Amino acid sequence: MDVSDLQQNRVLFHYARTGSTIWLAHLDMVRLFSRAMNRAAWPLYWSEGAYNPRPDIVFGLPAGCGIELERDPVEVGLATSPDEGSFDLEEAVLRLNAALPESVQVTEANYTESGGKSLMARVCAARYRIEAPGVSSAYRKTFTGAPVTVEHVRKKRTTSVELMSKIMDADVVYDDVLRITCGAGSVNHLRINLLLKALIRDGGLSPEVAAGARLIREAVFMGTV
Amino acid sequence: MISWNSLPEAKQRAILRQVEKPARYTGGEWQACDKREVFFRLPEKDRIRFAFCFPDLYEIGMSNLALQILYAALNKDEHTWCERFFEPASDMREQLTRENIALSSIESGTPLNAFDIVGMSISYELAYTTVLDMLHLGKIPLRSVDRGEQDPLVVAGGPVACNLEPMAPFFDLIMIGDGEELLSSVTALYRAKKQNHWTKRDFLLTACQLEGIYVPAFYDVTYHPDGTIDTIEPNVPQAPRVIQKSIINDLNRAEMPLTPIVPNLNVVHDRMVMEIFRGCARGCRFCQAGFIYRPMRERSLENLSEAARTLFQQTGCDELGLLSLSTTDYSLLSELLEKLIPCAEKYHVNLSLPSLRLDAFERDMAEQVATTRRAGLTFAPEAGTQRLRDVINKNIVEEDLLQATDVALRNGWERIKLYFMLGLPTETDDDVDGIGSMVNRLITCWRNIPDQLRTRRFFINVSTSIFIPKPFTPFQWAAQISPDVMRERQQRVAAALRPNRRVNYQWHQFESSVLEAVFSRGDRRLADVIEKAWMQGCVLDAWHEHFRWDIWEPLLSEIPGGIHFYTRERSLHEQFPWDHIQIGVHRAFLEHEWQRAMKGKTTPACFEQCSHCGARAFGGGVCFEPPRTSSQKDIWT
Repeated sequence: MDVSDLQQNRVLFHYARTGSTIWLAHLDMVRLFSRAMNRAAWPLYWSEGAYNPRPDIVFGLPAGCGIELERDPVEVGLATSPDEGSFDLEEAVLRLNAALPESVQVTEANYTESGGKSLMARVCAARYRIEAPGVSSAYRKTFTGAPVTVEHVRKKRTTSVELMSKIMDADVVYDDVLRITCGAGSVNHLRINLLLKALIRDGGLSPEVAAGARLIREAVFMGTV
Repeated sequence: MISWNSLPEAKQRAILRQVEKPARYTGGEWQACDKREVFFRLPEKDRIRFAFCFPDLYEIGMSNLALQILYAALNKDEHTWCERFFEPASDMREQLTRENIALSSIESGTPLNAFDIVGMSISYELAYTTVLDMLHLGKIPLRSVDRGEQDPLVVAGGPVACNLEPMAPFFDLIMIGDGEELLSSVTALYRAKKQNHWTKRDFLLTACQLEGIYVPAFYDVTYHPDGTIDTIEPNVPQAPRVIQKSIINDLNRAEMPLTPIVPNLNVVHDRMVMEIFRGCARGCRFCQAGFIYRPMRERSLENLSEAARTLFQQTGCDELGLLSLSTTDYSLLSELLEKLIPCAEKYHVNLSLPSLRLDAFERDMAEQVATTRRAGLTFAPEAGTQRLRDVINKNIVEEDLLQATDVALRNGWERIKLYFMLGLPTETDDDVDGIGSMVNRLITCWRNIPDQLRTRRFFINVSTSIFIPKPFTPFQWAAQISPDVMRERQQRVAAALRPNRRVNYQWHQFESSVLEAVFSRGDRRLADVIEKAWMQGCVLDAWHEHFRWDIWEPLLSEIPGGIHFYTRERSLHEQFPWDHIQIGVHRAFLEHEWQRAMKGKTTPACFEQCSHCGARAFGGGVCFEPPRTSSQKDIWT
């Protein structure tokens, strides 16, 4: 197999998730897709190795637990080339959607070039919609242009994270609906739970309302926003 | 009382964001059954809503094969919709209690008390308080006498059903034996109840005449002054004096879940499973499953190979477990693996063969299995000396273990796990010391393999559990050793193994083994203790972090005779709380085996020679197959 074959061997697709599957953690989503692709007979490329071979599936961003997704990217490597004629992408997506739970569906798929940066490294931003009573007022009170720092506890370590610099754009749709575009991926990533933490502390959003907020990741951007 | 499905979405989100692993409660798994669109078009009198309850966390319940089998069998019937319930973890339990939300089904969020039948699948005695907790969270009165016509029928099944006397007052009906067909009979009869407006008592009076159905309320138990049982008598003419277990003689016609629910979470046994046979022919004298599921009944090679292919395609899982009580005893295992391995490789599926016998793990098999994956190997010698292995009828010799280890190490395995039991009848210090000696000989076996042929990372995990005398076994008369002796023997093993850096020793807290022993041979008088313990906060007792011996011990001490009454050696003439259950193996045979054990005499496996245990009366299985020849026995050599 030469380089041109390899370049045609990768598929980039976007998927949406709603309903009960929004409560899955990222690794559960990886397993869900891996099994669905087995059921749909996608000829995935498997890593070499006798002990734990893995299918080549890369997610653009981890699918955070409790977040709906409208258009998240996933890239997979295939063990077959489209030139071989044995893999019809359009038909394969129909098969995959039939093998996925109804609450997870692939919305579009295309062949993509391989080589260069990995999908995860290409992700630079994401757009979220937050639906909760009073969320926009809380946002206006919190993010006035000055730095907003919150504490992030991870693995028993507490670090301070500045949020303002990670927000690229905010659009107040209604008082109950806020849309923000922010840094995502390996650089300048904004954790949406930290944003809610700031809205509770500085914006007067009640913790109960924040906990019940509907969080939707509308888009993930690669390269440039 | 609020049901989950009536909560506003924001409230549901707020709760789920505050608990660990919320996907335990939200369902939506591949092949989970949601038939609400068609089901509710049926007239109410034709619909049976069945709540399948597993009294443990989601990850444990979803690893249980019985759940998958019965879920598939029940949902095949258009008149029945079976939904799942699990015990919530403590964080979710707190939320439900605080918000007064009823325990609700995974599939539709319907509260437990809205179901027609609540079925508890009980695999172990330490789940008893969790059963009560689930009923309480589901807003159902705990005791059957307190439940009215509008409350669900509460039934139970599972391995412990053969002596559920400690839980008798909580269940309307107990199912004994193979559940697939029995459960369908119960739901069909319950539909007749609804159609004909029978009372619950009318239903139970009819149901108790079905094979395998035991209605505890229809039996009175009287006791001698010393606390032992005097009589167990039916108190209605319809109830049989002896309850026969239900059995499926031809396993090929039993439900095999070919479209099982595929969990989204990483559950304990995260794989597809295929039951290759039911029952066991070996007759290890401590093993309840080995006797209550007799006779051994195999699925055909064609049935299994076809099923495996379907499972690969329908689940997409990357591991298939071949389940049974002793996988290497499947008569056509070599042929089965020959069929499965190419298919497994095509689908990138690993084959997992739990329950391997030492005497059957030989070179050809190791090579076959090694083509898929070399995870750790687990063997169960059970006892450290040949004398004690003969007492328990394990029928393996140390040479088997050394040979199996040699084969495994030469075929790439690095880790071996060994299971032993402490406190077996007649056990002495020499037997306990034998565990350390055996492990040392295994390490010598590894050292004797040339460097280039052996792994450098050889490691042995030794695990001991405490022997628990179980009903319907030859050791049902045996005593359990005292807690002091348990502690002393665990420490003795630990001391013997500690110097070796290639060995890791794990043991269980012995207090939970005491509790399990009390319940396993317990009677109805324990029901009050179980209820009190639950009221004081006991739940999920099988979990180390939840087990509350500080609650259990004083409660058990209040019983006349105390803990010792239930853990003592029983007289040969003593009536057992389970004597009105006919499991298939005769009491006289078990007594004969108990006496042989005391003499250190072994008994051959059923497929070598019939020992006339009584299971032949069922009319199927290994009892009607010709004895295996030595060439069949040595199939792997």
